[in-house]
Formats: sequence, structure tokens, C-alpha cells
Amino acid sequence: MVTKRDFRRIDACLWELPADYDPRMRVPARLIADERLLEAALADEAIRQLINVAMLPGIVGQALAMPDIHQGYGFPIGGVAAFRLEGGIVSPGGVGYDINCGVRLLAGAMDAEALRPHLDELATALYANCPSGLGKKGLHPLSYRALNAVLEEGAEWALRHGLAERDDLLRTESGGRLPGARADAVPDRAKERGRPQLGSLGAGNHFLEVDVVERLFDAEVAGRFGLREGGVAVQIHCGSRGLGHEVCAQFIRRLQGLPQRYGFSIPDRELIAAPIESPEGRDYLAAMAAAANYAFANRQVLAHCVRRTFEQVLAGKVRRWELHQVYDVAHNIAKVERHTVGGRTMEVIVHRKGATRAFPPGHPDLPEAYRATGQPVLVPGSMGTASWVLVGTPRAMEVSFGSSCHGAGRTMSRRKAKRRMRGEQVRQALKREGIVVRAGSMRGLAEEAPAAYKAVDEVVEAVVRAGIARKVARLRPLAVIKG
Amino acid sequence: MGHWEEREHTADALIAVWGADLADLFATAAEAMFALLEPWGGGEPLPPLRVALEASDVESLLVDWLNELLFRAETVPLRSFHAFRIHHIDGRRLEATARGRTVEGWRTYIKAATFHNLHVRCRAEGCEAEVTFDL
Repeated sequence: MVTKRDFRRIDACLWELPADYDPRMRVPARLIADERLLEAALADEAIRQLINVAMLPGIVGQALAMPDIHQGYGFPIGGVAAFRLEGGIVSPGGVGYDINCGVRLLAGAMDAEALRPHLDELATALYANCPSGLGKKGLHPLSYRALNAVLEEGAEWALRHGLAERDDLLRTESGGRLPGARADAVPDRAKERGRPQLGSLGAGNHFLEVDVVERLFDAEVAGRFGLREGGVAVQIHCGSRGLGHEVCAQFIRRLQGLPQRYGFSIPDRELIAAPIESPEGRDYLAAMAAAANYAFANRQVLAHCVRRTFEQVLAGKVRRWELHQVYDVAHNIAKVERHTVGGRTMEVIVHRKGATRAFPPGHPDLPEAYRATGQPVLVPGSMGTASWVLVGTPRAMEVSFGSSCHGAGRTMSRRKAKRRMRGEQVRQALKREGIVVRAGSMRGLAEEAPAAYKAVDEVVEAVVRAGIARKVARLRPLAVIKG
Repeated sequence: MGHWEEREHTADALIAVWGADLADLFATAAEAMFALLEPWGGGEPLPPLRVALEASDVESLLVDWLNELLFRAETVPLRSFHAFRIHHIDGRRLEATARGRTVEGWRTYIKAATFHNLHVRCRAEGCEAEVTFDL
């Protein structure tokens, strides 16, 4: 059993479990956390899962966890790991079932106060217009031909169909289209699941939220992001729906025999992997990129729906109701990037599972608009608390493969949350805070109660103290829409 | 007769399942999964579902079985299955049927049954397994 004593404190918010903790570890495991968050991470199986990641072939530097780490399956949630291209592996379990689950942030010039009298109507319209929950079709059911185009073009498909503005794509990670996507690498069954679902939020912890920009911490960067104090913002949190789940499930199954064939071992079957340069590895990467493109298009279609709903409810009543895109980030993904490891700059494949890319100012992969500021890092908090907009730093490139946290991180099981709270109680508590809720499932609301999560402010404080991101703005929720 | 219990897992769902034999274990695991989904709203009965699967080992077979049922259930309208009958199982091959109906919704969404810490053990007194579901 791992304890706090097994860790070495490197910095105020950086802890290391040395590679000799377990002879099977190839690299150390590091955690970005303050003392309290380290203790929280030790409360479940998350650190054990991080140790398993440190055992994978071809891993370089260290297996990393963000302060929102918690127990997942295979990789912990909040995990980051990089593998060298030669002799390294790609692991579908290191990306997860919801490929390119991510967050999109829109912002408007209108004052949140001007929105207040229309908030109920807006929340009702968003709930009615933007499909959420289970068993509902998305806004854009697709033919197989159109689906193949979505898989290969991502958000550009949405642009071609009048569902996006050019600027949206410029302000999306990888321009909303991952290279190397191949529709023919996506299993038929995944296509069958994905075809009716484009333009839907799904269930679980996915949501749509209307926020007020409560406070700016860096007015200049916030200004570049189009955020102003007292202004309105909208977050969309969802991923690749059943299509991504099926891609992951099918490849995890398909790759099960590979360790024997290629002569490597894994500590957990969910961490199954393929050598990057193997036919199986290349196929997974092509299918994963296609699923990621589906997710980019999905959030784009939902963003279009949000804009139309704002127009429907607010046009003629509120001035400047239009919404522009701040950014769209993936937090479940594997990408080839250049990093410096042990003094050597090399191409590696970075797996982020519940972690956000956080590139610094000047990074060549950033769009022109953010080249001088660094990349916006979107950190949604638990329902009814707060969310953060951060910005990437050079230190993130040194410490965390250019990554930061992705949310608050669960601390209580859904089962326990449902036992402790009723959905109606949660709704009433949010109402007392002035937050409007539209949710399809009261049970789902109880599962996602703020008490089931770590304090997002504490998580953000840890990444800021570790130097891997800087604060730009804090958002407070006005309305939450969930399936 | 098989039984199951839910165990603590911070973000997802973990179940322990017991069965008198492998067939009972697989049927009980399927019952457990649909209990976790909590389908609601009665709908139209469906023709019997037939499933035939082959896998390289018993753990893969269990994951395939559960994910196959999830796939068949996640259509529009949503479905729920019950009365699982395992007609043949030998650790690598399974033939089964189930009864089903359309439902209005599920209260919980399961993305997939995973291989994480998965084990299936059979002894003289019966079989047991632990399965983690991604929620």
C-alpha cells in the first residue's frame, strides 16, 4: 500500500514516487498536488493506477498526475504519460472510452446582469433545443457518407455546413481536425452508434453551463481571450458519444493478444497497448483521431445550437447577445508532440486522460490569436461552484509535458453521493445560490452534487503553485443544463 | 442462484458477482449491469435477443457479453434486457438468449464494461468475478 512517506517532495506542489518503489516501474511517478490533495489521491486506487502507467514500455520522463487525480480504470483520471515513438506504445485505455471528451468556452459582450431577467427562459430553451440525456437523437443525424466526412474533417465539416464560423476553428485545439484520421479505421459498430448522435451532450458529468465572468486575474490575457468582468460565458462539456466508446472498446479487445506477439508485458489488461509503429497501433491512432474529430464536430454543432438559442431568447431584448469562441480543448486524447526529456528534444506521443494541454506563449502549435498569451486552459468545476480559465506556461513544458488539470476531480463515489443527497435537495441548494438548473434526471443531479468533488479552487491553486498554469479568470454558474 | 454487490469506486462502477457455475455467473453479471443502468418506463416487449460470441479467454468473453448487451440496448428507443439464459458456455464461446423491452430511459449511463482488474475464478463451490464499468 502506497503511503505519503513513500513520496519525495520535489517542490511545494510536486511529489515524486521514485522508480525503485516497484522494480517493474520504468520511470518515477509524479503528482502535482499540495499536501491535502496528495492525501486525497491516496484515498483510492488512483496512485496504484499511476504506478501501473509507469511500468508501460517506452514511457519517458515520468508518469504524471494532475491534482484532480482520482481512480479510473487502467490509467487514473488526471493522468499524463509520454512514450517515445521508437519502441513506444499507444494505449487506448490511456485515452479512455470518451475519446476527446473536452470543453468549449464561448463568451459574449453582454452583461450577465442584463441576462438575469431572461435566465429561466434561456435555460428552458437551451434544455429543449440542445439534446441531452440518453436515448435522444442528436441535432444532426448523419448518413454513413456524411459521418465519414465528419470523421475525417472534424469541425471543418461543420464549417462547410454553415454550423461554424472560421474563427471558431482557429480557436479550437488542433483547429478542430486531427491529422491522420481515417474513417475506414473506425469499426462499423462505432459508426452505427455515432450516426444518430451528432449534436448531443449525452449524460453523466456532461453539461452545458451559462456563467458570469466573476473575476479577472490577468486583465490583459483575459482581454485577448475576449473575457471581461461581469460578462457572460457558456461552457459545453461533452465528447465523442457512443462512437468514441465503441472505438475504444473494440480496440481494447482487438489488441489483447499483442503483448505476447510483440514481446512486452502490461500490469493491467485495460492498459493494453500497441507499438506505435505497428499496423495495430497505426490503425488505433487513425480511429482515435477520427473519433476525436467527431467530438470536435459534436461540440461545434452544440455551440451553433447555443448561439441560435441565445438569438431566439434574447434578440430584441438584450444588446450584444452574440457569443464568440474563446477556445475548445480536448482532455482525453493522445497526440504526437515535441518535448524535451532528459535534455533531449524528441517527438513523443502524449496521452492525456482527464488532463488538459497547457502550451506556453510562443508555442508553434498555438493559433495566431494566442501565440503571445499562451493557450487557454479550461477547467470546469463541479456543478454550482466555479470554473476557471487559466493559461499555459513555459514551466508546464518542463514539468508536465505541457499539461494541466481538467476539472475538480471526484472524491466521492456516485453511489455514496446518491445515498447522501437527493437530486431535489441539490436543485434547491443551487436555487438558493441563484443557479437555475434544468436536468433530465434528479438521480444524475445527486451524483454530480458539488460535495462529490474536490474544491476546484484548491486544485487550481496547486497547478498555479506548481507553475504549470496561471490564473486568468474565475467563472461562476448562472444556469446548468444536464441530461 | 447467482448474486452480486456493488463496491466502492470513486468515479465509475465496480461490481462483484457470484454464480453457481460459469453460466450462472454470466447471467448474473448481465442482471447486475441492467440493475446499475436502472431502466425506467415500461415499453413494448421485444422479440427474444439471441447472442453468440467467441473470445480468446473467459475474461474477454465476459467483457464481450456485457458490451454486446449494452450495444443492443443503446438504440432509439432505449432497451432493457432480462431473463438471461446461457445455453452454452465453455470459457471461449457463448450462446445465450434474453428477453427485452423498450424503455423510456436509464437513470445511469454505462459507457462500457472494462478489463480493469478483471478476473473470473471458478472453483468447486462456484464462480466469481469483479467487473469495472466506465460511467
